[in-house]
Amino acid sequence: MIGTWRLAGVGLVMAVMLAGLGLRLWAIQVTETEDYSAEAERNLVRVVATPAPRGDIYDRNGELLAGTKASLAVVVDMALVEDDFAEDLAQRLAAFLDQPASEILERFDTANSGAQLILAKDLTERQALTLVEHREDFPGVAVIPQPVRDYPNAELASQVLGYIGKPSEADLERPGVKGTDVVGKAGVERFYDDLLRGTEGEIKYRVDATRSVLQRLGEQESEPGDNLILTIDSGIQTQLQESLKAGLELARDLEMAERTEALEVENVQTRLFLAREAAQLAAIREANERRAAAAEAGEDAIADEDSLAIEEAGEIDEGEVLGSLYSGLPIDENRVCVPVQRVEVGVGSRTLLSGMTERTMRLDAVLENGTQRVAVVDVDGEQFEVEDGDTFASTLRVIAIEQEALIVSHADKWCPVRAVGVVEDPNDGSILAMASYPSFDPSAFVDGLTQSQWESLGTINAFTNFAIQGQYAPASTFKVVSYVLALEESIYPLDRPTGDRIIGDGESAADPAAEEGQTEVDVPEGEETPPTTQPPSDEELQPLTSDTELYNCTGSLRFRFNDGSSQVYRDWKRNGHGPLDLHGALQASCDLYFWEIALRVWNERSNEAGINNEDLWQEWARQFGFGTETGIDLPFEKPGLIPDRQWFRDEQRKGTGRVRSTGPWVGGDLMNAVVGQGTVLVTPLQLSNGFSAMVNGGTLWEPRVVSEIVNQDGEVTDENEKATLGTIDLDPDTVRAIRTDLQQVVNGPIGTARSAFANFGPRVASVGGKTGTAEIIKAEEDVQEVDTAWFVGLAPVGSPDYVVTVVVERGGSGGGVAAPVARQVLQYLVNGESFVTPLEPGERAD
Amino acid sequence: MAYTEERTQMSLLRRERQLRPDLMLVIPYLLLSALGLVMIYTASAPRLEEAGLSPTQELEQQAAFVLVGFAAFAIVSVISLSVVRPWVPALYLGSVVTLILVLSPLGSAVKGAQRWIQLGPIRFQPSEIAKLAVILGLAMLLSAAARPMRWDRVARAVLIVAVPAVLIFLQPDLGTMLTFGFIAGVMIFVAGATWRQMAALLVAGLVATVAVFQAGVIKTYQITRLTAFLDETSDVLNTQYNQFQSQIAIGTGGVFGKGLFNGTQTNLRFVPEQSSDFIFTAVGEQLGFAGSFFVLVMFGLIIWRVLVAAANARDRFGQLAAAGVAALVAFHVFVNIGMTIRVMPVTGLPLPFMSSGGTVFVVMSVALGMAHSVWMRRSPLVGERTGGDS
Repeated sequence: MIGTWRLAGVGLVMAVMLAGLGLRLWAIQVTETEDYSAEAERNLVRVVATPAPRGDIYDRNGELLAGTKASLAVVVDMALVEDDFAEDLAQRLAAFLDQPASEILERFDTANSGAQLILAKDLTERQALTLVEHREDFPGVAVIPQPVRDYPNAELASQVLGYIGKPSEADLERPGVKGTDVVGKAGVERFYDDLLRGTEGEIKYRVDATRSVLQRLGEQESEPGDNLILTIDSGIQTQLQESLKAGLELARDLEMAERTEALEVENVQTRLFLAREAAQLAAIREANERRAAAAEAGEDAIADEDSLAIEEAGEIDEGEVLGSLYSGLPIDENRVCVPVQRVEVGVGSRTLLSGMTERTMRLDAVLENGTQRVAVVDVDGEQFEVEDGDTFASTLRVIAIEQEALIVSHADKWCPVRAVGVVEDPNDGSILAMASYPSFDPSAFVDGLTQSQWESLGTINAFTNFAIQGQYAPASTFKVVSYVLALEESIYPLDRPTGDRIIGDGESAADPAAEEGQTEVDVPEGEETPPTTQPPSDEELQPLTSDTELYNCTGSLRFRFNDGSSQVYRDWKRNGHGPLDLHGALQASCDLYFWEIALRVWNERSNEAGINNEDLWQEWARQFGFGTETGIDLPFEKPGLIPDRQWFRDEQRKGTGRVRSTGPWVGGDLMNAVVGQGTVLVTPLQLSNGFSAMVNGGTLWEPRVVSEIVNQDGEVTDENEKATLGTIDLDPDTVRAIRTDLQQVVNGPIGTARSAFANFGPRVASVGGKTGTAEIIKAEEDVQEVDTAWFVGLAPVGSPDYVVTVVVERGGSGGGVAAPVARQVLQYLVNGESFVTPLEPGERAD
Repeated sequence: MAYTEERTQMSLLRRERQLRPDLMLVIPYLLLSALGLVMIYTASAPRLEEAGLSPTQELEQQAAFVLVGFAAFAIVSVISLSVVRPWVPALYLGSVVTLILVLSPLGSAVKGAQRWIQLGPIRFQPSEIAKLAVILGLAMLLSAAARPMRWDRVARAVLIVAVPAVLIFLQPDLGTMLTFGFIAGVMIFVAGATWRQMAALLVAGLVATVAVFQAGVIKTYQITRLTAFLDETSDVLNTQYNQFQSQIAIGTGGVFGKGLFNGTQTNLRFVPEQSSDFIFTAVGEQLGFAGSFFVLVMFGLIIWRVLVAAANARDRFGQLAAAGVAALVAFHVFVNIGMTIRVMPVTGLPLPFMSSGGTVFVVMSVALGMAHSVWMRRSPLVGERTGGDS
């Protein structure tokens, strides 16, 4: 019959198929059988991780600052949730937990099949009971006690403690960190995260396919994290935070009072009118020039363009013109200024912008312009088209443009922003208290912040520890460096009776006039013509030879150039202080005395017989730790900045805009640096640490917030012992002198902090300090000053145990605002809580 | 001579009634069935016992079907196929009708597939019976084919297969549909299709497959099932859970297996569907390579004997029917065992004679019986001289 060959062919094919199967079976069952045994073993063993409780954080007296509490959580074991039941389960859980079912379902879908999802925390006992009783309705769902971070004292020491959250990409690369863990994100929680986390435990079970437990194979207990003992004293910390808060409020009240006063004097309308006129005049002049140029070139001038330009010029920005007197600046419900507010408005809606005069902002549309979004917004009738990052309507800056909304910050750049404080023990570098206000409650992070909470707190930088991250110009507090330099190096000012000097041509000791608003350069009114008598030139003058010789601290130091132009540096006190020696100059905070020291260093920088060291002052400053991080055991510390010629040149080359674009480092820059202005930057901690080194005899400590690490049984596993960064060779007489003079700043007749400490109470004589008021003139905006107020205090002055550093950003004067805040803290430290008196503004003295 | 003629006539009848069974076919059949029962017991007993039921419940159920199957095999073996032949069209049409009924509300769905019909206490799968109907129908159509085969016959053959195949596909039952394709291909080839016709069939098959995928008719899960086994890295626990567990189970069997009831995968229920589609896993794990090899050899013997029966068939109808049976058994074996060791995708085809399931066993027994019948009536009958055609 036909087909036998075909049948044979079919048979062959089938034989090959079977042979193939046989070969594969051989491979699996004989050759690779070991691998499969391992796989099977894995199937059978299920590992459940048991979380380790996070270590606790205590203050130096054993008070709990951060701990762990048990919270009942709803955990879904995805391995037990069958696909066809998942939706049903999600619905039931949604109803029970009051969460949207779609969210729960999404979490189910995106989860690994072996994952354990935490759906809710902080269940009440009743809820937990219900779930357990009805467990058939909720297969795969269990109630498990979860350790949760707890901060019993809310905002106390929040920046030092930090907060916890989900790990970032970088965190996940650390050994032992999983996506489901929490890690410290800031503060001590972050710095000591590895110690605080402990080690997870695990329980191994033998299971069958339905995940029923057959046998418990073994358990490895979790190891709780270590506890930290901080150097922080809760009592001092509480007082510091309260005082900082009161201080910031005081500063804002003072600011509002100043504005009200200024408004009474200034006629706002006149000012605006004059500004408009000036702008239009300028535009007309420009138009004329254009016409002239066009006529010269033989073209017809375009008249319409000109008149439009002139009209537009008349539309000035009120906010720019009026500055801090502008009535549209944001205020709170008590009609006190607010540094920044976050405002959101949806498409088609309007919102009110707070201010002495309220304005209405309306978002008309959001346009998509390729990759960019443009918001069309109307503020009180004026239309703007803005993109991300733009500023408009005087006070507004775009934070984000969403599809249906616009988010802006409504800011007042003259309103006091924050108050920062540090209390350090100068005998070992322990930090007794550290805070910045506005602050936050770390508990909020435990469950996760909402987007708006995050944004509001972020807008005011509540999370940042400005004590180590804020870099400010130290102002007059920095005079102590030159003071020490003077005594140790015997460098004193030239003897100058009139406070004027002559400069030859080709050499200018000071900056060219009004370049980028770098320094205060002010030609005094009414003194356009130089006086007839020529003051002596520098070559003819003799330097003072001792710290007790008097120098005439007049109100200003004028530089005259051979071409007849002149430049004036003004003391903070208009009319000067009169004759003072080094000690008096520190007590009264005379600028001239210290400028003169700078000038001597500058003029003799190349003089082999003289000082012969351009960076002498910088070297002294750096010895006290300025310009470098202190190495404190907290994250994100900033190094500050001590400028010199090299740095200056680098900045010019980089074109950062922080320094003038042409011309080298000159004596005027050093003058600014010496009084802590210009480009000098320090953090409050650095200042505290530097002062500590001066008053304790020359030991520069490495500050610390953690003193001991203790395990769960109370045994000390590690000590963070005090450590030094260096020793400064100071003459005991210098140390004695500085202590005495600082004491006189507070207690003496010419001391700038005298009025602030007037009602201190007993033992005021044991208190010393130094004020500082830094004038900030922003390089980009040619606007009025917003001063940073400083005060560094110490007690007891003979052998100090406390150094208290306070800075109020945009606070006004050091003596007026910062000193009273420090005064409260010192009252607490020296006399006790009952002696703390309410804040009152001190004299506006630097 | 008259005496010799008479004798010849007489003996022809007697010869026809003389049974010449093929022990090499029957014994593997019996052995595999027995082994299947044992495996079903080891796979089901622990589970049943835990659930508080009788551990032999499934065994007993399948044993009943096995006995029915044995009886069917014996009866069909004895019946000559030519007796059956006139009934083939009716059988075919009836089969198509039941396939349509399955898709209608009368059909019952089990595990998301519309495959069963419940008639009182009896539940059966029309698609299984359709396999027989199509084999017989094709055999009948192709047995009249001329040489060389004409294209219109090829087309008709395709039609005969296509109608039930599509109906089955709509259940949906992808695996069974592919079985039909394979059987048809083999039978058309054996019937004498030219290479060009075979090529055309192949191309048509591929085009149809592609069209079906593109038309999105195949549900995604079916595609994922098909492709998942190729992808080592995709989420093992979801799509390929069964296969993965099965392969592990078989792998851990080693050379001689872990012994009955010692299969941790099997007995700890890691391999779902173990009694039915994944019965081979039980063999591999408990009896090792020795057991797997034994099963392969047994199937090899059966298929070989069926092909030999086809080669020696008395008429083309018988030859083609036997070829169809060989293809039926071979395809099931290859796809099912292949599935358990991740050489083939999961298609839901049972292992003949071993997987649990009543309709399947009986139908397979009948099919084997048909092949056996062809053998027993093979040419030459006792005393007959061969006609010299081949």
